[in-house]
Amino acid sequence: MDRITHPATRRSLDEYAQIRYLDPSECCFKKTEGGFLSLSIGEKEQYERVDLVRAFPLSDSDSYISVRDSEGNEIGMLESLSRFSDSTRRLLEEELGRRYFTPVIEKIRSIEEEFGYSYWDVDTSAGQRRFTVRRGHNNLVQLGGRRVLVIDVDGNRFEIEDYTSIDSRYSRLIESLL
Amino acid sequence: MRLIYDLPKPLHDEVARRLADERILYCVPSDLSPNGEFAQGFVIVTCSRLLLTDHERVTLEVKLTQASDFKAVTHVGSAILEAVVDGTPTILARYSMTYVPQYAQIARAITRLQEGEEPKAREEADSRECPRCGRIYPEGSTVCPTCLNKFAVLKRLLQTARPHWPLMALAVVLFWAITVLRLLVPAIYRVLIDNYLEPGLREPVKILLLVGAIGAANLAMTGLGIARSRVMVLAGGRLARDLRALVYGKLQALSLGYLDSRKTGDLMNRVTRDTETVQRFIQGQSTAIINESLLVLGVAIVLFASNWRLALMVIVPMPLVLFAVQRMREWIRLIFRHQWRMYDKANSTLQDILSGIRVVKAFGQESREVARFKSASRELAAVTEKNEKTWSTLFPTMGFILGLGQFLVLYFGGRLVLREELQLGQMVQFTQYAGMLYGPLRSMSFIPRWFAEAMTSTERIFEIADEEPDVKDTKDPIHHRIVGRVTFENVTFGYHEYEPVLEGIDVDIQPGEMIGLVGHSGAGKSTLINLVMRLYDVDEGRILIDGIDIRDISQQALRSQIGAVLQETFLFQGSILDNIRYAKPDASLDEVIRAAKIANAHDFIMRFPDGYDTLVGERGQRLSGGERQRIAIARALLHDPRILILDEATSSVDTETEQQIQEALARLVKNRTTIAIAHRLSTLRNADRIMVIDKGRRAELGTHEELLRAKGIYYRLVMEQRKLSRVQAVEG
Repeated sequence: MDRITHPATRRSLDEYAQIRYLDPSECCFKKTEGGFLSLSIGEKEQYERVDLVRAFPLSDSDSYISVRDSEGNEIGMLESLSRFSDSTRRLLEEELGRRYFTPVIEKIRSIEEEFGYSYWDVDTSAGQRRFTVRRGHNNLVQLGGRRVLVIDVDGNRFEIEDYTSIDSRYSRLIESLL
Repeated sequence: MRLIYDLPKPLHDEVARRLADERILYCVPSDLSPNGEFAQGFVIVTCSRLLLTDHERVTLEVKLTQASDFKAVTHVGSAILEAVVDGTPTILARYSMTYVPQYAQIARAITRLQEGEEPKAREEADSRECPRCGRIYPEGSTVCPTCLNKFAVLKRLLQTARPHWPLMALAVVLFWAITVLRLLVPAIYRVLIDNYLEPGLREPVKILLLVGAIGAANLAMTGLGIARSRVMVLAGGRLARDLRALVYGKLQALSLGYLDSRKTGDLMNRVTRDTETVQRFIQGQSTAIINESLLVLGVAIVLFASNWRLALMVIVPMPLVLFAVQRMREWIRLIFRHQWRMYDKANSTLQDILSGIRVVKAFGQESREVARFKSASRELAAVTEKNEKTWSTLFPTMGFILGLGQFLVLYFGGRLVLREELQLGQMVQFTQYAGMLYGPLRSMSFIPRWFAEAMTSTERIFEIADEEPDVKDTKDPIHHRIVGRVTFENVTFGYHEYEPVLEGIDVDIQPGEMIGLVGHSGAGKSTLINLVMRLYDVDEGRILIDGIDIRDISQQALRSQIGAVLQETFLFQGSILDNIRYAKPDASLDEVIRAAKIANAHDFIMRFPDGYDTLVGERGQRLSGGERQRIAIARALLHDPRILILDEATSSVDTETEQQIQEALARLVKNRTTIAIAHRLSTLRNADRIMVIDKGRRAELGTHEELLRAKGIYYRLVMEQRKLSRVQAVEG
């Protein structure tokens, strides 16, 4: 409540629309001892812990990443991960991978359908996993083209990069669930 | 919810060694490794420490004294348990979304332990998985369709159907009669062919008689079939009616806690869809099942009795045919489901465009929307075309495969006839029986699914019928005439055991006093009101009305003396008169008009051409928010409750209307104990005292002036709203 910015404090529209892009050359991200991410910008700004939030997690996951302090206030945005050095980028990607955990399904062992649920047994980029998906309710989302996001009954997410080429036995089934 | 999972062997031994006789409060999997691979670690919590493990050994031990600020933080697709350990914020464990509820409870429990409270971890039985097979229950149900003992359910369904037994017995007799007739016809053919259709034999009368018998049998079968269908429709319809009444009656009796835990749509389904499934089963599917199984059984017996070698020839390819049919059906199901979904998509695109037509036109996007719809419908057309092609190939193929058995009989039977080992009539009879055997296969493969569906629906209906209301009257409830004093004594309540929404609320409201509830959304204001109405029972502490625990007052007596004007003013289908009279159907017209006048509703009602008879609700006159509220106030006035509950009675109305509503409310609350929630503080200007609720606890209590002077939460809220209204005044 305390943090509400009142329209009474008049600012120009331009000021509201201002995006602070963080300059890759000034940013220094580090992994903390506890496994979080810290950031220092230039000489003066220091943040012991920052969170990364994607603006377009599904359509453009590597651009427009908001960097927020531990209170959730936006410090600034990263325009694109590609602008960072390899080591920093790996660090950022690791952190993003943790916050947006979506293993890629590499092989379908089996999908069984029964009474409105499908039971999946798959190999993913993070290891083997079994999960259950409810039919309907947008639990299989087509992300443009042949990419499919699968959301199980608990809210776990999995990605199929191309459902038509993953396994001919199951592509028709997946198609019918979309 | 499971809170203690079993540890694998080596890990179990190590943990046991470390903990000695310390009790494990929680032992929950952390199924993601620090670097984001699926893993089999655990988080183990005792009263004094936390053990973190991977799949074989303990990796970290944290004493509760060396850490603080335990939090379970949910990200996208996974979550973490974090804490400040020795001054450093640390990720303790990662886990998938599957264990989010468990960790939410763990984090809370640790915080409570650190505050010195007794541990009270408790497993709740509200599992979403069938304990037997691990499959997820269908939405909003605790019936596992796979493990369900379907015959037990069938038995219970038949018990419930007891009043309709005579009808069903009649149906069974008809079934038998039809089957016998069907089996009889080929036998008559045989006699006809073997005995009378021989060159040179002239017995026109006998032939005529036999042909007549075939005709008569067919006629009788048709007649009996019609009778059977009618009887089944009657039985199914009546049974479904009984079941619907059963579910609906029970739903009204169940507490809001139960109703809230299920989605409204799910409950609607139980009343409509599940009963419909049962009805369909009784009327149509069960007929088919009984019919076909009787026939198959009869035919099999007759076939083997007359020529076992030929019979084998008919039977042997059956599994193969069944398998082929099953596979094709699976295929067809998938392609048509795809088509159905495309159809849905095209439909919802159209609906989207139509309901948003103002926006479309305002932005001049007509042509783009036309293109969007065209593309959706083109996609649909392409899928349909493809599917129809597949279908038109598959269907005849299936028919052909189903006919295979007959070809075999024709060939081998023909050879036997030529060798004079079999008479022609016998062979004709055989082919006819074989045909009868393969025909039912088409529908036979549906039977397991029909049966499972119908029994699951039946069980879901019984599930509700068996539900015990959790808010119950005591054995001897008091029919208390309420004076109006409401007392909260150390009240704690949560919709889930592990998540208290209100904690330790103490307040004493005097008869006739108006108390305003203030707090952020989600602070627990509405929950408090639900407790006063006893839509839920408190977990700890008690609520007294005039010194009597509300659990001892009869629910009917309690609610009939509590009136509510709620956030969403719900008006039923019907006239304004019906709606005002809702709580007091015998109120005179004079009383209704008086109530409407006090509520400042009379004048606008009289402006409608149909006055008090104006129809409202979905298909009736459209009323503005302010008008609906005033009708609700009139309804509450007529009800004349001793305790009144107001939930944000004014919102989104113009100043004049608000004034009218305020006036009406001021008259309504007079001399009544009133508990009012409002986000706009101006609504509370009539309140005697104000209670501020923050994070489920009573933060402040006092008069408007006292709280302003205290400069606490209330003061800040007032200041903020003043600023806001100043801005609105300037900008508006």
